[in-house]
Amino acid sequence: MLLQTNHEEDFPMSPADLCQQLLNAMINADRAGAADIVSEALACGFAPAQVISDILDPAIIRLGKMWEEETMSLAQNFVASKIAEDTLISCLPDLGTKESHKGKAVIGNIEDDFHSLGRRTMGLFLKAAGWDVIDLGNDVPAEQFLEKALEVGASVIGASAMMQTTALNIRKLRELIDREGLQNHLKLAVGGAVFNWRPELVSEVGGDGTARNAIGADELFTRLQAEVKGPGAP
Amino acid sequence: MNSYQRVMNTLSGRPVDRVPAFAILGAYGANLTGCDLRTLYSDAGAYLQAQQALQSSFGFDLVLAPFDFSAIAEAFGGETVWSGLQTPNMRRPAAPTVARALDLRLPGPGDGRLSFILEATRALAQLYQERVPVIAVLPGPGILPSLLVGLDLWMETVLFEPGAARNLLSYSGDFLVALGNALVEAGADCLVFTEGMACAEIAPRALFVDAVLPHLREILARIDGPKIISSTGGSINQTLDLLPGIPGVVGAVAGSRDDLVESRRLVGPHFNLLGNLDNLAFASVGAEEMQQMSLDCLQAAAHGGHFILANSGGDIPQATPAENLLAMHGAAVRYPATGRLQ
Repeated sequence: MLLQTNHEEDFPMSPADLCQQLLNAMINADRAGAADIVSEALACGFAPAQVISDILDPAIIRLGKMWEEETMSLAQNFVASKIAEDTLISCLPDLGTKESHKGKAVIGNIEDDFHSLGRRTMGLFLKAAGWDVIDLGNDVPAEQFLEKALEVGASVIGASAMMQTTALNIRKLRELIDREGLQNHLKLAVGGAVFNWRPELVSEVGGDGTARNAIGADELFTRLQAEVKGPGAP
Repeated sequence: MNSYQRVMNTLSGRPVDRVPAFAILGAYGANLTGCDLRTLYSDAGAYLQAQQALQSSFGFDLVLAPFDFSAIAEAFGGETVWSGLQTPNMRRPAAPTVARALDLRLPGPGDGRLSFILEATRALAQLYQERVPVIAVLPGPGILPSLLVGLDLWMETVLFEPGAARNLLSYSGDFLVALGNALVEAGADCLVFTEGMACAEIAPRALFVDAVLPHLREILARIDGPKIISSTGGSINQTLDLLPGIPGVVGAVAGSRDDLVESRRLVGPHFNLLGNLDNLAFASVGAEEMQQMSLDCLQAAAHGGHFILANSGGDIPQATPAENLLAMHGAAVRYPATGRLQ
């Protein structure tokens, strides 16, 4: 059995221990081992939501910190991203098959930012929650965000950044939205590990809101869309 | 001894009067000639004029052929984003999938703006023949596919679809061979390959060894002329020991975070090292500090020869004060081939 148990109490390992095991699998690019950890956690009785919130999400946050400290390569980060996707798909089996009913959300990593893990995870959570997600990928210029949002009729743009230097590029998007007079029609959600460590960055870059993690993205996007559409809007 | 003799002697281990110095100055030339960047990177005459201005202002030991990878992405069908502040960049790659990339028409080395690069190289070679060597920069064979499909997709392909990755490497490799040889034929004295996959920030050593190194050997063996592998600013010490012995490779650019003493130990005394000044420092420190940083590099790696003082990343920031470039050059002048400061 892959999961070790706490024999004194005869209970499975704590979520913190499982998180550490998952993190180790991510660092070692062990996709199959990570899948085993998640499968066995579910088999041991952890609820899918708890696997996501208490095991996967803290692992992602710690990975983000390692990325910031430059102790992980881009390749390791990509494997970790794939593991996060695998985990979400295991825990949310109807992901991607749900009908989109909440609206359109345009997401992407801001110009010069290539840290896709958080964005991709956020996209999966938004899809799972019923959003029609248009993911523009990494290194997205401000103009492209706006162009796509207007094209598809989105009310919320989600701009992700991992590093402080790249987070500052979100200002360009804020300025563009304001310059076009769209501030009441298009809301700017910002996210990425750097916003957790430096919350004041949200207002510095002109964000309308942020979520501490991908799990909170649905609530944030729903709130921002409601601000655009006004009270009582569908 | 002129710059050509100084650089060529350094690369081949023959005596020199002093250590050569070189900074990647492309867009910076537009500062001196008042040219806009779109013209600089599409008009060979304007580019030549900018390199002439740089050469007369700073006197570095190499001149640079246009270092613009967006022209490669464009030749495959990608889009370029132009900025007033930096070299053009790829906005959107040519293909959204590897399968679509493999269906793209393989461009010739003179297609689109690549013809401007060849023309400018030819003009530089004619002007500086055997006085100042011309260096041309190309993407490394392992990172080139990212210009066709984007870095994200390329990284995923390398990691999770090794068969598809090999196909794309092979397909794009033929183009790189043609472009590299065309640049040598146009007069480039040395080719620099920026191989991001060799850097610790991009890929672990094992991935480089498995997925890239055999291809790197095969492609570089088919390209003429002396070749240098660049770290693109990242840390390359993790793979540096694997580079000597690759066909035609005479040196490597150490990353600004690499320990140069360790770099030398890894490659041995007869392999050329370049570096390893941090690009960002050029615009953020004073001239005195820049001179000291340059002297630190020289003292760490230049005493046995086979060393060129250089920056480690891409284009030097536009905001770099001229005094800093002069301080860097001055450090190389003060530090003679004997390794003792005058």
